[in-house]
Amino acid sequence: MTLLGKKQKCHAAQSVSFNGKRKVVLVGNPNVGKSVLFNVLTGAYVTVSNYPGTSVEVTRGVAIIEEEQFEVIDTPGMYSLMPITEEERVGREILLNECPDIVIHVIDARNLERMLAMTIQLIEAGLPVILVVNIMDEAERLGLGINIPLLGEKLGIPVIGAAMAKKRGVEEIRKSISGFNPKEIRQFNYNKKFEDDITEIALMLKGDYRLSRKAIALLLMQKDNEIAELIEEQEGAGYQAIDELVREKVFERRESLHMDISMQRREIVKGIIKDVFSAPERRRFTLSDKLSNWSVSPLTGIPLLLIVLYFGLYQFVGVFGAGTVVDLLEKKLIEGMFNPWITETVNNVVPWEIIQELIVGEYGIITMGVRYAVGIILPIVATFFLFFSMLEDSGYFPRLALLVDRVFKKIGLSGRAVIPMVLGFGCDTMATMVTRTLETVRERIIATLLLALAIPCSAQLGLILSLLSKSQGSFFVWAGCVLMLFLTVGFFAARVIPGDKTMFYMELPPMRMPQLSNVLTKTYTRMQWYFMEILPLFIFASVLLWLGKITHFFEKMVEWFNPVINAIGLPKETTVAFIFGFFRRDYGAAGLFDLQEKGLLDVRQITVAAVTLTLFVPCIAQFLIMKKERGLKTALMMGLFVSVIAFGSGYFLNKLLVTTGIL
Amino acid sequence: MMRCGFCGYDFEEKEGIQGCKNCPMSGGCKMIKCPKCNYENPSEPFWVKKVKGFFKEANK
Repeated sequence: MTLLGKKQKCHAAQSVSFNGKRKVVLVGNPNVGKSVLFNVLTGAYVTVSNYPGTSVEVTRGVAIIEEEQFEVIDTPGMYSLMPITEEERVGREILLNECPDIVIHVIDARNLERMLAMTIQLIEAGLPVILVVNIMDEAERLGLGINIPLLGEKLGIPVIGAAMAKKRGVEEIRKSISGFNPKEIRQFNYNKKFEDDITEIALMLKGDYRLSRKAIALLLMQKDNEIAELIEEQEGAGYQAIDELVREKVFERRESLHMDISMQRREIVKGIIKDVFSAPERRRFTLSDKLSNWSVSPLTGIPLLLIVLYFGLYQFVGVFGAGTVVDLLEKKLIEGMFNPWITETVNNVVPWEIIQELIVGEYGIITMGVRYAVGIILPIVATFFLFFSMLEDSGYFPRLALLVDRVFKKIGLSGRAVIPMVLGFGCDTMATMVTRTLETVRERIIATLLLALAIPCSAQLGLILSLLSKSQGSFFVWAGCVLMLFLTVGFFAARVIPGDKTMFYMELPPMRMPQLSNVLTKTYTRMQWYFMEILPLFIFASVLLWLGKITHFFEKMVEWFNPVINAIGLPKETTVAFIFGFFRRDYGAAGLFDLQEKGLLDVRQITVAAVTLTLFVPCIAQFLIMKKERGLKTALMMGLFVSVIAFGSGYFLNKLLVTTGIL
Repeated sequence: MMRCGFCGYDFEEKEGIQGCKNCPMSGGCKMIKCPKCNYENPSEPFWVKKVKGFFKEANK
């Protein structure tokens, strides 16, 4: 990563960059509409590349305004000139190394007070700033008033009110860019003592810098190492005296320096917005605001989560999807009407019994493979993905991440790990790949282990909920066991696996009513993807089962596994379900579902089987991805650990249920 | 433009499929990764895009 270089001849008034175009850099917090503005300004012709020496992507494009070409750069989201994350560091590098002729700071009108602090920093640093107050439409809907001309006057820069999603303000922004003429920089003063300290440091700086001396003095006081290195390089022998003075000033304020700077900036902002900003006496809290607040507070968020899970997963997916719809489709239509007809037809047309067995026999491609895929799995994943897409479109997931952040920290993860966990309910294989986006290796290992152990995929979850829907007691026993193991294994893993703890923060998108078109489109896409993936695999599984039957191989496998299955109190017929659970978890669950339908499992056995199968070894695709992401040794150790935990839990749960007789 | 279902970030679809070539599930998952939070978003089916495009044209 290049360091913030010394000032070059790039800020001579209205300079041009090497390719002859003036440069416009867009900066601002994440989710304020920078990328929308970038697209509006540049159109389709953009290039995306990693910023040199980093994995952070930067988008560049060309805007043509009044026949002049401008190079426009969209920076990653940043909260301040003092960087914490790699994205913020890249954002600052661009501001300082790319010699922008115009810096457009995009802010959210709904959070004017908080976001203006960065505008103050940018102006203070001597950068040529235009301020775009975006999302004005939402702010107006909330009853917030912003006097844009007065704000511009007070800041001494061009300010434009906009609503990028509705293309409001685009023309003003374009005019402002083409006619941009930097004026004298407005000074914003901190309290006298602080200003004196800053000035004392600033006066010692003799080099030529792109940032104002005041901004550099402030960054030095905040122990910005990159700035310190630059100053050392520029000032040479004079650096030691500067460093000593900075240390002295910092020591005087050692307990509250960062707080002082932030509080004083806040005071400056308050002074600026005094006559600029107006809000209704009582802020209008919409239902979505209330829901948003309830969902992130532990006191209300946990009951809300339980309600969502109970009605959404248990009642809608488990009872309705896997119960009512499967009953209609699988039992009445397929088993009752289609299978007898196809069996008779095939038997009449195909003279060889062995082939009849392959197509319409006990494990036949149609009578079992297609029946499982279409009659059982399809309605379950349809209801699951419908529920999932509604939650997703409402903006609930980021709130869930904030809600569980504290608990996840205890198990070595952070709220960010909600992303793979939530995706795991769709497909654990894909979710295992997503663990690579977690910040530390420790988090990735713990998340991979927990996904393999305690997160059932959509179809498996639906089938298990359906198995358990006959008895609410068994549902609570299953949920309690899985949750307890998830937390216990995570808790111990966090203590055994070394590594750094991570921080999690994110900007919450608004909570909103799910849009029907979005929900249906997402459900359709996910269902289509899932179905197209499982159908060939289910057919292949049927062929394997048929082969196993005609060669008597499965009888032998059942005999080998029988002692383990017996030890957890299950009949030997469930062995096949477990063997195929490794091939596809949902196939194994569908096998159990079939056994329950045939009346071969009582409530206790169903509960034990559901717990064991949920915790059971990851399916083969997930195992292969685990191997790819974490290495063969770790994947094998995890597979072994998960198998021991699954059958161990099944064994103890069976003993407990038999002894207590609670089910 | 599409909006991430997790963090609400607006991005171009092509930004979310840049890493797909190296993925072992490449060609199968039809998911678009948010460049900001890495959440996997389902892509809009081809025919839905066509229908939307048709209505957009008709409204012009």
